[in-house]
Amino acid sequence: MAEESILTDDFLHELMSVGEVDLLVGVPTHNDAATIGPIVQAIRAGLVQFFPRQRAVILNADGGSHDQTQELVRAASITDLQHTPNPHALRTLHSISARYGGGPTSGRGLYAILAAADLLHSSACAVISADSSNIEPEWIAHLLRPVSQDGFDLVTPVYHRHKFDGLLLRNLVYPMTRALYGKQIREPYPSEFAFSGRLATHLFGQDGWTAEAEQDGARLYMTISAITGGFKLAQALLGSKTRAPSSPPADVVDALREGVGPLFFSLDRQPAWRTNTPSEPVPILGGQPEVTLDPLRINRKRLYDLFRSGVSELAPLLSSIVSPFTLEQLQQLASRGEEDFCYCDELWVKTVYEFAASYHRAVLNRDHIIQALAPLYRGRAYTFLVENRDAQSEEVERNVEALCLTFEKVKPYLGELWDGRK
Amino acid sequence: MWDKFVIELSQATQEFLRGVAQFLPRLLVTLIIVVIGGLAAWVIEVIVRSILRLIKFDRFSDDSGASQFLRRTALPSSTELLSRFVFWVSWIGFILVGVNALNIVGLEPHISKLFGYLPRLVAAVCLMFFGLLAASFFSRAALLAAVNAGSPSPKLISSAVRVLITVLSISMAFEELGLAEQTVLIAFGLIFGALLFGLALAFGLGGQELAKRFLEARFARPPQREHEDELSPL
Amino acid sequence: MPLSQDPQWYKDALIYQVHVRSFQDSSGDGIGDFRGLAQKLDYVQDLGVDTLWLMPFFPSPLRDDGYDISDYRSVHPNYGTLDDFKGFLEAAHARGIRVIIEMVLNHTSDQHAWFQQSRSSRENPRRDWYVWSDKDTKYQGTRIIFLDTELSNWAWDPVSKQYYWHRFFSHQPDLNYDNPAVREEMWEIMRFWLRMGVDGFRLDAVPYLIEREGTNCENLPETHAVIKDYRARLDREFPGKMFLAEANQWPEDLGPYFSGGDEFHMAFNFPLMPRMFMGLKLEDRKPISEILQRTPAIPEICQWCLFLRNHDELTLEMVTDMERDYMYDEYARDRSMRLNLGIRRRLAPLLDNDRRRIELMNGMLLSLPGTPITYYGDEIGMGDNVNLGDRNGVRTPMQWDGGWNGGFSSADPEKLYSPLMLNPVYGYQAVNVASQKRFEHSLLSWMKRILKVRKSSPVFGRGSIEFLYPANHRVLAYIRKWGKETILVVNNLSSSAQAVELDLQGYKGNILIEMFGRNIFPRIGNLPYLLTMGPYQFYWFRLRKV
Repeated sequence: MAEESILTDDFLHELMSVGEVDLLVGVPTHNDAATIGPIVQAIRAGLVQFFPRQRAVILNADGGSHDQTQELVRAASITDLQHTPNPHALRTLHSISARYGGGPTSGRGLYAILAAADLLHSSACAVISADSSNIEPEWIAHLLRPVSQDGFDLVTPVYHRHKFDGLLLRNLVYPMTRALYGKQIREPYPSEFAFSGRLATHLFGQDGWTAEAEQDGARLYMTISAITGGFKLAQALLGSKTRAPSSPPADVVDALREGVGPLFFSLDRQPAWRTNTPSEPVPILGGQPEVTLDPLRINRKRLYDLFRSGVSELAPLLSSIVSPFTLEQLQQLASRGEEDFCYCDELWVKTVYEFAASYHRAVLNRDHIIQALAPLYRGRAYTFLVENRDAQSEEVERNVEALCLTFEKVKPYLGELWDGRK
Repeated sequence: MWDKFVIELSQATQEFLRGVAQFLPRLLVTLIIVVIGGLAAWVIEVIVRSILRLIKFDRFSDDSGASQFLRRTALPSSTELLSRFVFWVSWIGFILVGVNALNIVGLEPHISKLFGYLPRLVAAVCLMFFGLLAASFFSRAALLAAVNAGSPSPKLISSAVRVLITVLSISMAFEELGLAEQTVLIAFGLIFGALLFGLALAFGLGGQELAKRFLEARFARPPQREHEDELSPL
Repeated sequence: MPLSQDPQWYKDALIYQVHVRSFQDSSGDGIGDFRGLAQKLDYVQDLGVDTLWLMPFFPSPLRDDGYDISDYRSVHPNYGTLDDFKGFLEAAHARGIRVIIEMVLNHTSDQHAWFQQSRSSRENPRRDWYVWSDKDTKYQGTRIIFLDTELSNWAWDPVSKQYYWHRFFSHQPDLNYDNPAVREEMWEIMRFWLRMGVDGFRLDAVPYLIEREGTNCENLPETHAVIKDYRARLDREFPGKMFLAEANQWPEDLGPYFSGGDEFHMAFNFPLMPRMFMGLKLEDRKPISEILQRTPAIPEICQWCLFLRNHDELTLEMVTDMERDYMYDEYARDRSMRLNLGIRRRLAPLLDNDRRRIELMNGMLLSLPGTPITYYGDEIGMGDNVNLGDRNGVRTPMQWDGGWNGGFSSADPEKLYSPLMLNPVYGYQAVNVASQKRFEHSLLSWMKRILKVRKSSPVFGRGSIEFLYPANHRVLAYIRKWGKETILVVNNLSSSAQAVELDLQGYKGNILIEMFGRNIFPRIGNLPYLLTMGPYQFYWFRLRKV
């Protein structure tokens, strides 16, 4: 069974010495020595400051690091072993690090953390990404308190973002997830989040989880399971989202693979998306996220050029994926100049849904379908950038909201495509 | 003398008739085998067609680009084609068995050779098919990668990949069939070598910067690359 | 039974703290007395303790339960006469039981003749026997100890129209130890009692003897000098007698009270006690092991005094604010239980009358390094009455049996100095010596057994301590060693069963012998030693190499 291979003997041994806990904070890592130190210190400070009386553990599920990642995590323990008393902490705080079985994937790391949370009967758990370099101790409180004290089952983060940050999230992932599953969760793929012991137990009970754990879609699967399972959801405002300076700039194709692939895949496994009810808001705790407007260096022309070359070069491919009408519209769009270029909401939504349906039927290799979406996404990104070039934060929010409503409005079209009626 | 002629004639006729009498049953057996073989081959064809439809074989071949090729040459679909191929191969097999039953001297070794050849024929067809599949897959992958990277001539790269893999699979198929082995091998080697040499020159001379950056990224600390922009999609 | 002649007898002692007033009334006036106490010496001896610590019994207006003394050379008439005391002392010594009495050095009652004289006029010869000032701004920054009742360390005397200094209640003016006459007189008083045969003094409130401007008026070098002087005289004239310091200080500040072995023989380890309770609630050894790590090494002839509860509130002065809040929330949810930065409850109610926890706490008390003190009544699990005001809730009459007044006194119940405990859980009919003596498995019987086991080895009183740090933080484990003898103590602080692996490589080859049942446990081998423990269970193992 996957669970037996995920928890190695050493892992189990470490869990035994911790015993039952109230709170568990998991950090999946793989060669993250550059960033892990401050992250674990911030988690530790957060637990000591905001949950001094609760039994807690910091758990690092490591995929097999060769740098000093695991040692750095262990150094954050507060125990009497160090022989220097720590009067600011009421209790022992274990900070354990163990390797999980199998190769390093984010899905397996998450699964190992879930397994540990289940074994230790933790009532509230948080997962923190190893590259959240700007984490504050308060994040721990914002994530865990709603679960441990207010009875929420899943708390996803919300960040202050630049208006042009997270374009794929704003233009596809968020609106589509919202339209399909009926909950307005801004970060369906959270890198930091918290969940209850109830949700963890529920996930273990599902057969599909072990398969998901092998893939990178585990976090989305968790979010969708929480929505479809009727669990209590909330979003917590954490702060600004930044990436670690050492991480490479995001590649669009990788982002699509990571963000869109699992979303399309989920349509096959989660029939709950077929219902056509309007989406519901999910409470945001701790304030409203702000859209920052600092100037950002953007190469818009490149996006436009890549869209045009993509549509023309990939036309034979696209003809297998989208409908002839859509393809024709895309080709017309590609023929327009920069000034007239507008990849409008409705066309974009139809494009995405047609891609999703083709993904479902696997008209081509699925990874190729995702890659073929990249130039079209760039075109959409270009339109978004142009439309919001001078927009203030409220206007940006309105535009995103309008796109979300279009996704919801056009959703029956996806149903028809799915059933082969179109 | 007339009597002798008549006797010889009747003897010859009787011998001939005896020969025919000996041959006819064998011919009958051969015909029976052929007819039964035909029926059996038809059954096999139906089974194979059903199996292929069940596993949606047409989609594989759509993927491989074989379907497009067949359509262009006004040939039936892959499922149909393969089923018929299986039919003919099976029937030919039965025909050969039937012919063998005629016991015609000197024919046996050739029939054995033909039997021996059949598996190689099947292997060659498989090689071609999977070769086409791979060519289509990798050429598409190359096209997508090139388009997304903003390369100037993605179609060229894609075609080059397709041609290379197709040529490779054809060569392997010919080698399997044992047709003009040496010629094909040499020709393949020449084409492949030349292509690669050309690519190496093009990359090395024209893509110096790219090569340098690639090596730096791979083996040294990555320097500040010129990003297209500061956007992060997720 | 003769008293042991070992000058370091206090290191092996098992002390029983008792208030004469609360123990046994022989006269029928509703107040315990020395004759009654003498009658109960057999019980004390049978329990297994060998030292009695008596709370103040000198004449006093009793506004602070006898710590406000009005005459240092007599016995309060409530408790009998000086002859009664002498009779009791003799009887105790005859049973091999030593007697330590209280000596309140720092202050007297305002009814004491000295203060009456001192305040009568500014020219009185005893004027500077106390600390007087025109203003109440001197010695700013000195903390107030009785926060719930006092607003200042200065009190205005309307008679002599000056302020006088008091670190405790305002009716307890501080003596002025800068005055040599005061120091001499106090020594004479101590000598008086030592000559009578008393075995030692618990010197009350010693950190506060001397005041100096610009300091916190606690633990000053001059204070230590006073004590050192007394100690030198004690060693000269009365070798084998003992000084026990009551100094509620952080571990680092306690070291000077031992000095180089020329000051106090013993001092209470105040910081440890609340942390034992904290560690039990947290189910985490961290508070206990950390405070012991901070505890300084002391001279070989000196000794810590350990206790779980006493006549005062469970003091939370020597903990952080966070720890204090935790203790209040866990042990004193009802605010009436809180007093003066402490909790005024007895041992059994603090531990929810849970037998296992009571045993575990006593197990730790008797196995950690130091001389243990048992507060009267805790050996049978007596309860408390917070409604009696101040700290009187933990000073109710001893419960001897289920009969008239719990066997404490023949007086009318209304005449008793304090009401008895009456509720069905802790009342005298439910909790008393007589009923517990009948059963082998009562708390009293268990206490006797554990005291006997403790006495069976000098390691506990005299040995070193080496902590083991198993990965399971719910288990507190340590090795006590003295000479050739080694004892392993393992305590499960958790309410659930625990498995623990101990690194005993340094003791490889030893067999473990459990000290209560004397059963053999497996030999220590190459692997970590695995023990499984029930909720709140503890083990004492003697290590033996055969």
